[in-house]
Amino acid sequence: MGSHLRSKFTREEEVKYISHLDLMLVFERALRRARIPIAYSGGFNPHPQMVFGLPLSVGVTSESEYADFEFHAEVDPENFKSRLNANLPQGLKILEVRERKAKGNIMASIAIASYDIFVYLGCSYDIIQERLKELLSKTTIVVQKKGKKGVKDLDIRPMIHKLHVLKLSKNEIDEKLNSKFIDLDRIHLNEDNGIYCIRAVLSAGSNANLKPELLMEAIKEGLNFDINTLKIHRTELLVGKGGKVYNPLDPVVLLGE
Amino acid sequence: MKMTLKISDNILRNVEKPSRYTGNEWNSVTKSLDKINIRFAFGFPDVYEIGMSHLGSKILYHLLNQREDTWCERVFAPWVDMEEQMRKNQIPLFALESKDPIKSFDFFGFTLQYEMSYTNIINMLDLAGVPLKSSMRTEDDLFVCAGGPCAYNPEPLAEIMDFFLMGEGEEILNEVLDVFKAWKNEGAAREDFLDRISKIEGVYVPGAYQVQYESDGTIKSVLPNKSHYPERIKKRIIKNLEDVFFPDKIIVPYTDIVHDRIMLELFRGCTRGCRFCQAGFIYRPVRERTPEKLLDLARKLQENTGYEEISLTSLSTSDYEGLGDLTENLIKEMEPLKVNLSLPSLRIDSFSLDLMEKAQKVRKSGLTFAPEAGTQRLRDVINKGVTEEDLINSVSIAFNGGWTGVKLYFMMGLPTESFDDIEGIADLGNKVVDAYMRVPKEKRGKGLSVTISTSSFVPKPFTPFQWEAQDTMETLREKQRHLKGMIKNKKITYNWHESQLSLLEAVFSRGDRRLGNLLIKAWEKGCKFDSWGEHFKFDLWMEAFGECGLDPHFYANRKRDFNEVLPWDHIDVGVSKKFLQRECEKAYRGELTSNCRVDCSGCGAASFGSTICTG
Repeated sequence: MGSHLRSKFTREEEVKYISHLDLMLVFERALRRARIPIAYSGGFNPHPQMVFGLPLSVGVTSESEYADFEFHAEVDPENFKSRLNANLPQGLKILEVRERKAKGNIMASIAIASYDIFVYLGCSYDIIQERLKELLSKTTIVVQKKGKKGVKDLDIRPMIHKLHVLKLSKNEIDEKLNSKFIDLDRIHLNEDNGIYCIRAVLSAGSNANLKPELLMEAIKEGLNFDINTLKIHRTELLVGKGGKVYNPLDPVVLLGE
Repeated sequence: MKMTLKISDNILRNVEKPSRYTGNEWNSVTKSLDKINIRFAFGFPDVYEIGMSHLGSKILYHLLNQREDTWCERVFAPWVDMEEQMRKNQIPLFALESKDPIKSFDFFGFTLQYEMSYTNIINMLDLAGVPLKSSMRTEDDLFVCAGGPCAYNPEPLAEIMDFFLMGEGEEILNEVLDVFKAWKNEGAAREDFLDRISKIEGVYVPGAYQVQYESDGTIKSVLPNKSHYPERIKKRIIKNLEDVFFPDKIIVPYTDIVHDRIMLELFRGCTRGCRFCQAGFIYRPVRERTPEKLLDLARKLQENTGYEEISLTSLSTSDYEGLGDLTENLIKEMEPLKVNLSLPSLRIDSFSLDLMEKAQKVRKSGLTFAPEAGTQRLRDVINKGVTEEDLINSVSIAFNGGWTGVKLYFMMGLPTESFDDIEGIADLGNKVVDAYMRVPKEKRGKGLSVTISTSSFVPKPFTPFQWEAQDTMETLREKQRHLKGMIKNKKITYNWHESQLSLLEAVFSRGDRRLGNLLIKAWEKGCKFDSWGEHFKFDLWMEAFGECGLDPHFYANRKRDFNEVLPWDHIDVGVSKKFLQRECEKAYRGELTSNCRVDCSGCGAASFGSTICTG
């Protein structure tokens, strides 16, 4: 039982076109349907006390999202999980719920995010592998980032922690890219299929944040062939604590040990 | 056979608001194709956010899906960016739930909420690959039908629709589908189905009626081709609103829609009889739900949707007798769940202000009033039972309560209107400002703002003004300029509606079936989303009139004789033409007609046997 819970959830294809703001409303309504005693802020316009990890860009899926919830009564984690799951639409599913005792909400502590970026290339595996190696060997990678105040130069090299590319078998393609939104029929597979998975571990959170879309811009830079991004999927989020990174559900993080 | 279309990322990444097209919302209905017989595509000819805000569509969607043999799905007009992608990628119009092409359905039913959505219907039929005209459809095609308030003058769409459903749809839709199921099992001819449903009260099959014209272009007669078709088609109503189906769950969208809340329908119809208001006549007689029933519905809907807001809807919520009790009980139950109650604009008195303060912890900014006309003379002509004293009392109460914003709605171009009436609008605005000034400084809020908005009067079928001429665009513009010149107070802002759109509304609201070709012609030239300012192309419409040999002024600006056969005379809404004529004559004499609750004026709607009429 606890009045503060942290949950891990998936956000799959069916709900990938919802904005972050709309996703919060989906949770608010699901909580109300489930009659879960979520706490509300005071003031003129009370809102439910829930905090989400790192917002996902529209169109990106994830198997590793996190949200913190605060209640005005004690709530059993397993009960919370089953009641909320019964009230969430297809594509959203709570995987795990733990009590949170330590301070520091999920959004403030996110440090690292991992992505699988599925791409279709007009080149062989060797060329893209070379390209990623070449990128990693650089000490600076300057890209142009479009922000609210116009375009800015940004060195993204310090924010790339790992980057490599994997071949995919036909079975893996069927399994990972079988979506009602991905049109594989239009793609002519070559001998090693032409579809690869770029696996990236990137800085994330309020201090330094590298979006996978921006990384792809850097990879594309100077290449004379097309890279078609089929799907971006978040595989992991980690939080920082005392200079180390942890799984957000790690007791060290949740209990402050 | 798998027909489902792939609405791929390549398409969705290139359109704004992709969640308009992805479906999968909470409480949306999915069924297995091998367990159903009837596929019904429910079309709303505007974008998702508008269509999803319409209460009637929600009711009928869930009503149809109550049937085990039927799967009703939604179809909205794709926004222009999506349409471009669909045409480029050869994707036909699809249903939101299954993503199956509409062409493979049994019915494509449209709700007609406003005339300026008609070109979207044509566009949606084209995108679906369905022949635009009823006469062009063959045994392989689905049936195209329509209902809703604009269907009471079905004639502009008579060549497009296979049939219309007149009046409230809860019963008649089921009757039509029952006939369809039997007809489909027998494998009978297309025409045979239309013959069979023509026997259902409220069904109008326009293709079976012949229109004859006089040499001056007016109508001589509208008569059925076949003897067994009814000469007049009577609308259907639900007599007992208490027991009729009302969904206890509604779809909860992902993206922000216009009315994103639970809508609780208090009653249908209106007892007031304002002479310009079509809704006030076509929905007669008044039928109510009890506060107990409404509370029960609210409870269930809230549980099943998780919505954070409930609104009360009807044509005139202040007239609902149980309003005080209902709101009190709703607030008591919903407040702990953090669910707000929102009230529509009520007639303002101390009771309703108190109610509004209790219901919504609103910022005391804007209140809306609709005097509709600037002078008492003209307000009497239109039977708007509001006096200047009422208005000034109401705003004074509001100003004393701390409110600072007042919006005043007026109609321009009402029958008998003169420049005195226009000046009366400005006067009324000034008197509202004076009422604010009379409130002691320490009691009133800071920063008064009064907004005067004028729309242009559009004469509507089945109203006492159905014979009237609409002011020409030149006259309307002159009146707008005049009023603008009269408003000198800096606290008053004046907004007006573009008269070009009002002209087309007037054409289609009282048009005949010759407008079908015009509609197709205008669509061919690129007209669609006409009610969206940025897409309204008046010049193309005028070109289309010219090419079709039709004159917009014949429809909009011509005063009809009481003896003229009107295009909708073969439709029976219960309110008699004699009554409407009597009301029109009273209007010209400036005589008022009382509220149905006070005195029956013998409109004819008593034939439906509702309690308000029969006691």
